[in-house]
Amino acid sequence: MNKSFFTIIVLLSFFLSCQSEKKVDDKEKYLRWVGDIEPNDQLDKTEFIVCNGEDNIFQYFNLGEGPVYKGEKSKILNTFKSKYRPIPDKNQNGLIRIRFIINCEGKAGRFRILQSDYDYQEKEFEKEIVSQLLDITKGIENWEVLKRDNVPVDYYMYLIIKITDGQLAEILP
Amino acid sequence: MRYFNFLIVLFSFSSTFAQRNCEAYKYNRDTLKYEACKKAMEIKGYYQFSREYQSVLDESIEIDPTFDYAYWAKSIAYLKSGDFVTWKKLIDKAVELNPKEYLGYRGWCRYQFFRDYKGAIKDIEKLDSLVDYDIGQSQNGTYHLNIAKGLCFKAIGEKGKAIAILEKQINQNEEENIVGAYDYLHLGVLYLETENYEKAVEIFIKQSEINELAENQYYLAMTYLKIDNPVGYKSCLQKAKELYIEGRKMSDPYSNPLDKIFLEDIENEIKMAYNNS
Repeated sequence: MNKSFFTIIVLLSFFLSCQSEKKVDDKEKYLRWVGDIEPNDQLDKTEFIVCNGEDNIFQYFNLGEGPVYKGEKSKILNTFKSKYRPIPDKNQNGLIRIRFIINCEGKAGRFRILQSDYDYQEKEFEKEIVSQLLDITKGIENWEVLKRDNVPVDYYMYLIIKITDGQLAEILP
Repeated sequence: MRYFNFLIVLFSFSSTFAQRNCEAYKYNRDTLKYEACKKAMEIKGYYQFSREYQSVLDESIEIDPTFDYAYWAKSIAYLKSGDFVTWKKLIDKAVELNPKEYLGYRGWCRYQFFRDYKGAIKDIEKLDSLVDYDIGQSQNGTYHLNIAKGLCFKAIGEKGKAIAILEKQINQNEEENIVGAYDYLHLGVLYLETENYEKAVEIFIKQSEINELAENQYYLAMTYLKIDNPVGYKSCLQKAKELYIEGRKMSDPYSNPLDKIFLEDIENEIKMAYNNS
Protein backbone atom coordinates (compact mmCIF):
# COMPACT_ATOMS: atom_id res chain seq x y z
CA MET A 1 0.00 0.00 0.00
CA ASN A 2 2.76 2.36 1.06
CA LYS A 3 4.77 1.39 -1.99
CA SER A 4 1.82 2.06 -4.32
CA PHE A 5 1.20 5.37 -2.61
CA PHE A 6 4.86 6.33 -3.05
CA THR A 7 4.77 5.33 -6.74
CA ILE A 8 1.68 7.50 -7.32
CA ILE A 9 3.33 10.48 -5.60
CA VAL A 10 6.47 10.07 -7.71
CA LEU A 11 4.47 9.79 -10.95
CA LEU A 12 2.30 12.73 -9.97
CA SER A 13 5.34 14.88 -9.17
CA PHE A 14 6.91 13.90 -12.46
CA PHE A 15 3.70 14.75 -14.33
CA LEU A 16 3.31 18.09 -12.56
CA SER A 17 6.94 19.02 -13.13
CA CYS A 18 6.47 18.33 -16.85
CA GLN A 19 3.42 20.56 -16.86
CA SER A 20 5.18 23.42 -15.15
CA GLU A 21 8.19 23.09 -17.45
CA LYS A 22 5.85 23.22 -20.41
CA LYS A 23 4.33 26.45 -19.10
CA VAL A 24 7.76 27.94 -18.62
CA ASP A 25 8.51 26.99 -22.22
CA ASP A 26 5.34 28.72 -23.39
CA LYS A 27 6.32 31.87 -21.57
CA GLU A 28 9.85 31.70 -22.89
CA LYS A 29 8.87 31.33 -26.52
CA TYR A 30 7.64 34.91 -26.55
CA LEU A 31 9.65 38.05 -26.12
CA ARG A 32 8.20 41.02 -24.27
CA TRP A 33 5.99 41.71 -27.28
CA VAL A 34 5.20 40.08 -30.60
CA GLY A 35 7.58 41.51 -33.18
CA ASP A 36 10.23 42.67 -30.71
CA ILE A 37 13.72 42.75 -32.19
CA GLU A 38 16.57 41.82 -29.87
CA PRO A 39 19.95 43.47 -30.47
CA ASN A 40 22.37 41.29 -32.43
CA ASP A 41 26.05 42.23 -32.66
CA GLN A 42 26.41 40.24 -35.88
CA LEU A 43 23.66 42.15 -37.66
CA ASP A 44 23.35 45.55 -36.07
CA LYS A 45 25.48 48.65 -36.05
CA THR A 46 26.77 49.18 -32.55
CA GLU A 47 26.17 52.93 -32.68
CA PHE A 48 22.42 52.44 -32.89
CA ILE A 49 20.82 52.73 -29.47
CA VAL A 50 17.30 53.13 -28.18
CA CYS A 51 16.85 56.17 -25.97
CA ASN A 52 14.27 55.06 -23.42
CA GLY A 53 15.16 51.42 -22.77
CA GLU A 54 14.10 48.15 -24.35
CA ASP A 55 10.88 47.99 -22.32
CA ASN A 56 9.61 51.32 -23.59
CA ILE A 57 9.61 50.86 -27.35
CA PHE A 58 6.23 51.62 -28.91
CA GLN A 59 4.64 50.47 -32.17
CA TYR A 60 4.22 53.17 -34.82
CA PHE A 61 0.45 53.15 -34.39
CA ASN A 62 0.52 53.49 -30.59
CA LEU A 63 0.92 57.24 -30.91
CA GLY A 64 -2.28 57.64 -32.89
CA GLU A 65 -0.83 59.32 -35.95
CA GLY A 66 -0.95 56.38 -38.34
CA PRO A 67 2.07 55.55 -40.45
CA VAL A 68 4.06 58.77 -40.71
CA TYR A 69 7.14 59.48 -42.79
CA LYS A 70 9.54 62.38 -42.86
CA GLY A 71 8.41 64.31 -45.92
CA GLU A 72 5.30 62.11 -46.12
CA LYS A 73 4.96 58.78 -47.86
CA SER A 74 5.49 60.26 -51.30
CA LYS A 75 9.14 60.86 -50.38
CA ILE A 76 9.63 57.19 -49.45
CA LEU A 77 7.93 56.08 -52.66
CA ASN A 78 10.14 58.36 -54.74
CA THR A 79 13.26 57.13 -52.96
CA PHE A 80 12.46 53.50 -53.72
CA LYS A 81 11.35 54.21 -57.29
CA SER A 82 14.51 56.12 -58.09
CA LYS A 83 16.96 53.75 -56.41
CA TYR A 84 15.57 50.27 -56.99
CA ARG A 85 16.85 48.49 -60.07
CA PRO A 86 14.23 45.90 -61.10
CA ILE A 87 15.33 42.30 -61.55
CA PRO A 88 12.85 41.08 -64.18
CA ASP A 89 11.94 37.52 -63.25
CA LYS A 90 8.51 35.88 -63.42
CA ASN A 91 9.30 33.95 -60.23
CA GLN A 92 9.99 36.95 -58.04
CA ASN A 93 6.56 37.64 -56.59
CA GLY A 94 5.36 38.32 -53.06
CA LEU A 95 5.83 40.41 -49.97
CA ILE A 96 9.00 41.56 -48.24
CA ARG A 97 8.69 43.13 -44.81
CA ILE A 98 11.54 45.15 -43.40
CA ARG A 99 10.93 45.77 -39.70
CA PHE A 100 13.10 48.08 -37.64
CA ILE A 101 13.26 50.46 -34.71
CA ILE A 102 13.25 54.24 -35.01
CA ASN A 103 14.81 55.89 -32.00
CA CYS A 104 14.05 59.20 -30.33
CA GLU A 105 16.41 60.97 -32.75
CA GLY A 106 14.66 59.66 -35.84
CA LYS A 107 17.49 57.23 -36.63
CA ALA A 108 16.68 53.66 -37.68
CA GLY A 109 18.36 50.40 -36.70
CA ARG A 110 17.94 46.64 -36.07
CA PHE A 111 16.56 45.89 -39.53
CA ARG A 112 14.99 42.44 -39.96
CA ILE A 113 13.53 40.78 -43.04
CA LEU A 114 10.46 38.59 -43.56
CA GLN A 115 9.59 37.22 -46.99
CA SER A 116 6.61 35.38 -48.45
CA ASP A 117 4.90 34.68 -51.74
CA TYR A 118 1.48 36.17 -52.48
CA ASP A 119 -0.12 33.18 -50.72
CA TYR A 120 1.65 34.19 -47.48
CA GLN A 121 3.97 31.17 -47.63
CA GLU A 122 7.53 31.91 -46.56
CA LYS A 123 10.01 32.00 -49.42
CA GLU A 124 13.32 33.56 -50.29
CA PHE A 125 13.58 36.18 -52.98
CA GLU A 126 16.68 36.67 -55.10
CA LYS A 127 19.36 38.09 -52.83
CA GLU A 128 19.83 41.06 -55.14
CA ILE A 129 16.22 42.13 -54.65
CA VAL A 130 16.33 41.84 -50.87
CA SER A 131 19.72 43.49 -50.49
CA GLN A 132 18.67 46.43 -52.64
CA LEU A 133 15.50 46.99 -50.62
CA LEU A 134 17.40 46.68 -47.37
CA ASP A 135 20.11 49.09 -48.49
CA ILE A 136 17.54 51.65 -49.68
CA THR A 137 15.73 51.45 -46.34
CA LYS A 138 18.98 51.72 -44.39
CA GLY A 139 19.91 54.69 -46.56
CA ILE A 140 16.94 56.74 -45.38
CA GLU A 141 18.75 58.90 -42.85
CA ASN A 142 15.91 60.62 -41.07
CA TRP A 143 12.60 59.20 -39.97
CA GLU A 144 9.78 60.99 -38.25
CA VAL A 145 10.39 61.59 -34.55
CA LEU A 146 7.24 60.57 -32.67
CA LYS A 147 6.52 62.11 -29.30
CA ARG A 148 4.50 61.23 -26.27
CA ASP A 149 3.74 64.18 -23.96
CA ASN A 150 6.33 66.14 -25.93
CA VAL A 151 8.98 63.54 -25.14
CA PRO A 152 10.53 61.80 -28.20
CA VAL A 153 10.03 58.04 -28.05
CA ASP A 154 11.47 54.92 -29.69
CA TYR A 155 9.10 52.91 -31.87
CA TYR A 156 8.86 49.94 -34.20
CA MET A 157 8.15 50.63 -37.83
CA TYR A 158 7.98 48.41 -40.87
CA LEU A 159 7.78 48.67 -44.62
CA ILE A 160 6.10 45.98 -46.69
CA ILE A 161 7.29 45.99 -50.26
CA LYS A 162 5.19 44.08 -52.75
CA ILE A 163 7.22 42.65 -55.61
CA THR A 164 5.67 41.47 -58.88
CA ASP A 165 7.91 39.85 -61.52
CA GLY A 166 10.89 41.41 -59.76
CA GLN A 167 9.44 44.92 -60.01
CA LEU A 168 8.24 47.19 -57.22
CA ALA A 169 4.46 46.89 -57.11
CA GLU A 170 3.48 48.69 -53.88
CA ILE A 171 5.00 49.93 -50.65
CA LEU A 172 3.00 49.72 -47.43
CA PRO A 173 1.75 50.88 -44.99
CA MET B 1 5.77 56.55 -13.52
CA ARG B 2 7.06 56.68 -17.06
CA TYR B 3 6.40 52.96 -17.44
CA PHE B 4 2.87 53.45 -16.09
CA ASN B 5 2.19 56.15 -18.68
CA PHE B 6 3.56 53.84 -21.34
CA LEU B 7 1.03 51.16 -20.39
CA ILE B 8 -1.84 53.64 -20.41
CA VAL B 9 -0.99 54.66 -23.96
CA LEU B 10 -0.86 51.05 -25.08
CA PHE B 11 -4.20 50.12 -23.63
CA SER B 12 -5.83 53.14 -25.17
CA PHE B 13 -4.83 51.70 -28.54
CA SER B 14 -5.60 48.05 -27.86
CA SER B 15 -9.27 48.41 -28.61
CA THR B 16 -10.08 45.01 -30.00
CA PHE B 17 -10.96 43.13 -26.85
CA ALA B 18 -14.21 41.65 -28.05
CA GLN B 19 -15.69 39.65 -25.21
CA ARG B 20 -17.05 36.23 -26.10
CA ASN B 21 -20.09 35.03 -24.17
CA CYS B 22 -18.72 31.86 -22.59
CA GLU B 23 -22.02 31.07 -20.88
CA ALA B 24 -23.51 30.21 -24.28
CA TYR B 25 -21.12 27.24 -24.51
CA LYS B 26 -22.13 26.14 -21.04
CA TYR B 27 -25.79 26.40 -22.01
CA ASN B 28 -25.10 24.21 -25.02
CA ARG B 29 -23.21 21.78 -22.77
CA ASP B 30 -19.97 22.23 -24.68
CA THR B 31 -17.80 21.99 -21.58
CA LEU B 32 -14.48 22.00 -23.39
CA LYS B 33 -15.26 25.17 -25.30
CA TYR B 34 -16.63 26.74 -22.13
CA GLU B 35 -13.35 26.05 -20.34
CA ALA B 36 -11.30 27.28 -23.31
CA CYS B 37 -13.44 30.39 -23.46
CA LYS B 38 -13.10 31.11 -19.75
CA LYS B 39 -9.34 30.75 -20.07
CA ALA B 40 -9.23 33.02 -23.15
CA MET B 41 -11.14 35.75 -21.33
CA GLU B 42 -8.15 36.03 -18.98
CA ILE B 43 -6.49 38.14 -21.70
CA LYS B 44 -8.49 41.07 -20.43
CA GLY B 45 -6.08 43.70 -19.17
CA TYR B 46 -3.11 42.43 -21.19
CA TYR B 47 -1.80 44.18 -24.28
CA GLN B 48 -2.41 42.21 -27.48
CA PHE B 49 1.31 42.10 -28.23
CA SER B 50 2.34 40.90 -24.78
CA ARG B 51 3.79 37.56 -23.77
CA GLU B 52 1.05 37.15 -21.18
CA TYR B 53 -1.76 37.72 -23.69
CA GLN B 54 -0.31 35.25 -26.18
CA SER B 55 0.41 32.62 -23.50
CA VAL B 56 -3.12 32.75 -22.10
CA LEU B 57 -4.48 32.12 -25.59
CA ASP B 58 -2.06 29.23 -26.11
CA GLU B 59 -3.46 27.68 -22.94
CA SER B 60 -6.98 28.22 -24.25
CA ILE B 61 -6.07 26.43 -27.49
CA GLU B 62 -4.54 23.60 -25.48
CA ILE B 63 -7.86 23.13 -23.71
CA ASP B 64 -9.81 23.13 -26.96
CA PRO B 65 -7.91 23.33 -30.27
CA THR B 66 -11.20 24.06 -32.06
CA PHE B 67 -11.88 27.30 -30.17
CA ASP B 68 -11.79 29.78 -33.06
CA TYR B 69 -11.72 32.95 -30.94
CA ALA B 70 -8.28 32.15 -29.51
CA TYR B 71 -6.68 31.90 -32.97
CA TRP B 72 -8.29 35.16 -34.04
CA ALA B 73 -7.25 36.97 -30.87
CA LYS B 74 -3.68 35.69 -31.20
CA SER B 75 -3.50 36.78 -34.81
CA ILE B 76 -4.09 40.50 -34.16
CA ALA B 77 -0.61 41.37 -32.93
CA TYR B 78 1.00 39.56 -35.85
CA LEU B 79 -1.24 41.45 -38.24
CA LYS B 80 -0.36 44.81 -36.72
CA SER B 81 3.34 44.06 -36.62
CA GLY B 82 3.29 43.18 -40.32
CA ASP B 83 4.08 39.49 -39.78
CA PHE B 84 1.89 38.29 -42.62
CA VAL B 85 3.16 34.71 -42.42
CA THR B 86 2.16 34.01 -38.81
CA TRP B 87 -0.97 36.15 -39.09
CA LYS B 88 -2.23 34.19 -42.07
CA LYS B 89 -1.67 30.81 -40.39
CA LEU B 90 -3.62 31.90 -37.31
CA ILE B 91 -6.48 33.67 -39.06
CA ASP B 92 -6.83 30.80 -41.54
CA LYS B 93 -7.39 28.50 -38.60
CA ALA B 94 -10.07 30.82 -37.20
CA VAL B 95 -11.75 31.02 -40.61
CA GLU B 96 -11.59 27.25 -41.03
CA LEU B 97 -13.34 26.77 -37.68
CA ASN B 98 -15.87 29.59 -38.03
CA PRO B 99 -16.04 30.99 -41.57
CA LYS B 100 -19.13 33.13 -41.09
CA GLU B 101 -17.51 34.93 -38.17
CA TYR B 102 -14.07 35.58 -39.66
CA LEU B 103 -14.23 35.59 -43.47
CA GLY B 104 -15.27 39.23 -43.63
CA TYR B 105 -12.62 40.18 -41.08
CA ARG B 106 -9.85 38.31 -42.94
CA GLY B 107 -10.94 39.82 -46.24
CA TRP B 108 -10.87 43.32 -44.81
CA CYS B 109 -7.44 42.83 -43.22
CA ARG B 110 -6.03 41.45 -46.46
CA TYR B 111 -7.07 44.71 -48.07
CA GLN B 112 -6.23 47.12 -45.24
CA PHE B 113 -2.82 45.77 -44.26
CA PHE B 114 -1.49 43.96 -47.32
CA ARG B 115 -3.43 45.34 -50.30
CA ASP B 116 -4.22 41.74 -51.22
CA TYR B 117 -7.08 42.77 -53.49
CA LYS B 118 -7.89 39.40 -55.03
CA GLY B 119 -7.71 37.64 -51.66
CA ALA B 120 -10.01 40.22 -50.10
CA ILE B 121 -12.56 39.92 -52.91
CA LYS B 122 -12.51 36.15 -52.59
CA ASP B 123 -13.15 36.24 -48.83
CA ILE B 124 -15.91 38.84 -49.00
CA GLU B 125 -17.67 37.04 -51.84
CA LYS B 126 -17.35 33.72 -50.02
CA LEU B 127 -18.94 35.24 -46.92
CA ASP B 128 -21.74 36.68 -49.05
CA SER B 129 -22.43 33.22 -50.45
CA LEU B 130 -22.62 31.66 -47.01
CA VAL B 131 -25.03 34.02 -45.26
CA ASP B 132 -28.48 35.40 -45.97
CA TYR B 133 -27.98 38.53 -43.88
CA ASP B 134 -26.09 41.76 -44.53
CA ILE B 135 -22.36 41.03 -44.52
CA GLY B 136 -21.75 44.20 -42.51
CA GLN B 137 -18.94 46.67 -42.03
CA SER B 138 -15.16 46.48 -42.09
CA GLN B 139 -13.50 45.87 -38.73
CA ASN B 140 -12.74 49.57 -38.25
CA GLY B 141 -16.26 50.58 -39.29
CA THR B 142 -15.06 52.83 -42.13
CA TYR B 143 -16.68 50.90 -44.97
CA HIS B 144 -19.42 48.46 -45.70
CA LEU B 145 -17.59 45.31 -46.84
CA ASN B 146 -19.15 45.69 -50.29
CA ILE B 147 -17.53 49.12 -50.61
CA ALA B 148 -14.19 47.54 -49.64
CA LYS B 149 -14.81 44.86 -52.28
CA GLY B 150 -15.53 47.57 -54.86
CA LEU B 151 -12.27 49.34 -54.01
CA CYS B 152 -10.43 46.05 -54.53
CA PHE B 153 -11.99 45.69 -57.98
CA LYS B 154 -10.85 49.21 -58.79
CA ALA B 155 -7.33 48.36 -57.68
CA ILE B 156 -7.15 45.38 -60.03
CA GLY B 157 -8.35 47.52 -62.92
CA GLU B 158 -12.03 46.56 -63.02
CA LYS B 159 -13.39 50.07 -62.65
CA GLY B 160 -16.79 49.44 -64.24
CA LYS B 161 -17.45 46.67 -61.76
CA ALA B 162 -16.19 48.87 -58.91
CA ILE B 163 -18.57 51.69 -59.88
CA ALA B 164 -21.55 49.34 -60.04
CA ILE B 165 -20.76 47.91 -56.59
CA LEU B 166 -20.20 51.32 -54.98
CA GLU B 167 -23.33 52.84 -56.54
CA LYS B 168 -25.48 49.96 -55.33
CA GLN B 169 -24.07 49.95 -51.81
CA ILE B 170 -24.16 53.73 -51.46
CA ASN B 171 -27.84 53.74 -52.46
CA GLN B 172 -28.49 51.20 -49.74
CA ASN B 173 -26.39 53.17 -47.24
CA GLU B 174 -28.34 56.34 -48.06
CA GLU B 175 -31.62 54.54 -47.44
CA GLU B 176 -30.35 53.42 -44.05
CA ASN B 177 -28.67 56.77 -43.38
CA ILE B 178 -25.25 55.17 -42.82
CA VAL B 179 -23.12 56.54 -45.63
CA GLY B 180 -19.45 55.92 -44.87
CA ALA B 181 -16.97 58.73 -44.25
CA TYR B 182 -15.24 58.26 -47.62
CA ASP B 183 -17.93 56.52 -49.72
CA TYR B 184 -18.82 59.46 -51.99
CA LEU B 185 -15.19 60.44 -52.39
CA HIS B 186 -14.16 57.02 -53.70
CA LEU B 187 -17.09 56.91 -56.13
CA GLY B 188 -16.28 60.43 -57.28
CA VAL B 189 -12.68 59.46 -58.00
CA LEU B 190 -13.93 56.49 -60.02
CA TYR B 191 -16.20 58.80 -62.05
CA LEU B 192 -13.27 61.16 -62.60
CA GLU B 193 -11.02 58.31 -63.72
CA THR B 194 -13.66 57.05 -66.15
CA GLU B 195 -14.27 60.56 -67.54
CA ASN B 196 -17.78 60.90 -66.15
CA TYR B 197 -17.09 64.45 -64.98
CA GLU B 198 -20.64 65.62 -64.40
CA LYS B 199 -21.36 62.80 -61.99
CA ALA B 200 -17.97 63.32 -60.36
CA VAL B 201 -18.72 66.96 -59.52
CA GLU B 202 -22.15 66.01 -58.21
CA ILE B 203 -20.81 63.38 -55.86
CA PHE B 204 -17.81 65.38 -54.62
CA ILE B 205 -20.30 68.08 -53.59
CA LYS B 206 -22.23 65.42 -51.67
CA GLN B 207 -18.99 64.37 -49.94
CA SER B 208 -18.38 68.02 -48.95
CA GLU B 209 -21.79 68.08 -47.26
CA ILE B 210 -21.18 65.05 -45.06
CA ASN B 211 -17.42 65.06 -44.47
CA GLU B 212 -15.22 67.66 -46.14
CA LEU B 213 -11.70 66.47 -46.86
CA ALA B 214 -8.57 67.78 -48.54
CA GLU B 215 -8.74 64.83 -50.94
CA ASN B 216 -12.29 65.72 -51.92
CA GLN B 217 -11.35 69.27 -52.88
CA TYR B 218 -8.23 68.03 -54.66
CA TYR B 219 -10.15 65.58 -56.85
CA LEU B 220 -12.90 68.15 -57.42
CA ALA B 221 -10.17 70.52 -58.62
CA MET B 222 -8.88 67.85 -61.00
CA THR B 223 -12.40 67.38 -62.33
CA TYR B 224 -12.79 71.13 -62.88
CA LEU B 225 -9.49 71.06 -64.75
CA LYS B 226 -10.92 68.44 -67.10
CA ILE B 227 -14.11 70.41 -67.79
CA ASP B 228 -12.20 73.65 -68.33
CA ASN B 229 -13.26 75.51 -65.19
CA PRO B 230 -10.00 77.23 -64.18
CA VAL B 231 -11.58 79.29 -61.41
CA GLY B 232 -13.07 76.22 -59.73
CA TYR B 233 -9.80 74.34 -60.27
CA LYS B 234 -7.64 76.90 -58.49
CA SER B 235 -10.13 77.63 -55.75
CA CYS B 236 -10.53 73.92 -54.90
CA LEU B 237 -6.77 73.41 -54.80
CA GLN B 238 -6.41 76.25 -52.30
CA LYS B 239 -9.19 74.76 -50.20
CA ALA B 240 -7.52 71.36 -50.42
CA LYS B 241 -4.29 72.82 -49.07
CA GLU B 242 -6.06 74.59 -46.19
CA LEU B 243 -7.96 71.44 -45.26
CA TYR B 244 -4.82 69.35 -45.40
CA ILE B 245 -2.97 71.70 -43.08
CA GLU B 246 -5.95 71.68 -40.70
CA GLY B 247 -5.67 67.88 -40.63
CA ARG B 248 -8.95 67.28 -42.45
CA LYS B 249 -7.64 64.49 -44.66
CA MET B 250 -8.09 60.77 -45.11
CA SER B 251 -6.42 58.74 -42.39
CA ASP B 252 -6.16 55.29 -40.92
CA PRO B 253 -4.14 54.34 -37.83
CA TYR B 254 -2.44 51.45 -39.62
CA SER B 255 -2.22 52.29 -43.30
CA ASN B 256 -2.69 54.92 -46.00
CA PRO B 257 -6.22 54.76 -47.42
CA LEU B 258 -6.84 54.30 -51.12
CA ASP B 259 -7.21 57.65 -52.96
CA LYS B 260 -5.27 59.47 -50.25
CA ILE B 261 -3.21 62.41 -51.47
CA PHE B 262 -0.31 64.22 -49.84
CA LEU B 263 0.55 67.86 -49.33
CA GLU B 264 3.24 67.54 -51.99
CA ASP B 265 0.59 66.49 -54.55
CA ILE B 266 -1.52 69.55 -53.79
CA GLU B 267 1.41 71.94 -53.80
CA ASN B 268 2.75 70.58 -57.09
CA GLU B 269 -0.67 71.00 -58.64
CA ILE B 270 -0.95 74.56 -57.32
CA LYS B 271 2.44 75.37 -58.88
CA MET B 272 1.24 73.97 -62.20
CA ALA B 273 -2.03 75.88 -61.97
CA TYR B 274 -0.28 79.21 -61.53
CA ASN B 275 2.59 78.49 -63.93
CA ASN B 276 0.16 77.67 -66.72
CA SER B 277 -2.14 80.65 -66.19
